[in-house]
Amino acid sequence: MTMTTALTTRPSKAQQAGVDLLRIVRINEEIKAVVGVAFKINIMALNAIFLAKRAGTAARGFGVLSNELRVFSQDLRDGMSALTTHIHACVTEVSVVLQDIRHTALLRQAVEQSSAACGPAVLAAREVENDRHAERLARLRKQLRAALDDAFRMVELGGVLAKSAKIEAAYGQSFAVPLAQVSGEFDGVVEEIRASLESLRRSAFFTGN
Amino acid sequence: MKKTKTIFQDGNHKWVAIVRDPDKPNYLIDTNEYLVTHGSQGILLDPGGAEVFPAVFSALSSEFDPSALSAIFASHQDPDICSSLALWLEFNPKMRCYVSWLWSSFIPHFGGTAETFIAMPDEGLDISLDGLHLQAIPAHYLHSSGNLHLYDKLAKVLFSGDVGAALLPPGDDGLFVENFDAHIRHAEGFHRRWMGSNEAKRRWCERVSQMEIDMLCPQHGAIYQGADVQRFINWFDGLQVGICGS
Repeated sequence: MTMTTALTTRPSKAQQAGVDLLRIVRINEEIKAVVGVAFKINIMALNAIFLAKRAGTAARGFGVLSNELRVFSQDLRDGMSALTTHIHACVTEVSVVLQDIRHTALLRQAVEQSSAACGPAVLAAREVENDRHAERLARLRKQLRAALDDAFRMVELGGVLAKSAKIEAAYGQSFAVPLAQVSGEFDGVVEEIRASLESLRRSAFFTGN
Repeated sequence: MKKTKTIFQDGNHKWVAIVRDPDKPNYLIDTNEYLVTHGSQGILLDPGGAEVFPAVFSALSSEFDPSALSAIFASHQDPDICSSLALWLEFNPKMRCYVSWLWSSFIPHFGGTAETFIAMPDEGLDISLDGLHLQAIPAHYLHSSGNLHLYDKLAKVLFSGDVGAALLPPGDDGLFVENFDAHIRHAEGFHRRWMGSNEAKRRWCERVSQMEIDMLCPQHGAIYQGADVQRFINWFDGLQVGICGS
């Protein structure tokens, strides 16, 4: 009897899928937090626009940047929404892979214990299906990683906007202090998101280790 | 691995009991599976849970080509009845699963597609197995609200699902009931608690009393044969069920 790969599948595959599921759940939690922060930026940008209007011509540059930051916060939320969609697809696929592993283990046991002639063929068919699911998961992993990279690049741009707003705040004359405070908050929040995304990009989920 | 025991044979018409796995972990309830074959086809009655699939499959394949199983009969919806469904379907995706209409959209959570399921009406259904006429008979509320048993008139065998089940102590692993009075003690608590309706029980007892039954085959415990069949029906008829606690 020819031993198929499914016959020799090791339990560590199940452990790996379980770890993957935990990792993707953590990524999802982190992204939920980033989405919350992105919403906060939108409110902050709106407040900054009002503040810039009150400051008048002295804060014209700051006003332009506040508008850009508001657009950025919307883009960021769209980016996060795309990430959430990718993550849900990944969670589904990891769950399918986990189910495949359990089924394959039970089938393997059954075939090893029996003399059924059809056993190896059924295991081989199961193996093809497992490979199909594993390939789909690998594709989704790449798509998620690409979406994270896009979001990261967007946040770097947000960081530049926040830093420019800090510079513009210095020209705000009598409004310089409140403008500096607002732009400092922007910078802090954008930095917080950047750090979160940076840590997500380093997640072992993408290396599979 | 489970053992197989042919409990009825007439030519190519067979009933095979798949029972007693010494390697089964104690936290899983022991189950009996039954294979009915006729001609080139087979139907597996209450195929069991996913965790016992390897043991049931290997035992069954020693008797019958598992890819030639044409159908599964699920007496009701419990996980020990048919949570292995998806695994059996790997061997024959065209296999059909007979189940009460009440559970026909619940059991697909264990596997299968819309084509897999044949919903049995409350009044029961005639099932043909390569020319053999089998009858699904109502046993609702015993214990499940959508519950059917399977009668083979030719073999005079009734597969009775959880009715007649006994939770046997370790070591008491005979396939047939040998001492009814001693055996029924292991069935009493189970029936009082699991069976939900005295009215349903009465109707079932009346119905099966009119059938010719040589063997009454439950999903747990030992098989009643000969005079013990009527003895069991009389005992069950007199038992107050649907009782929780002491």
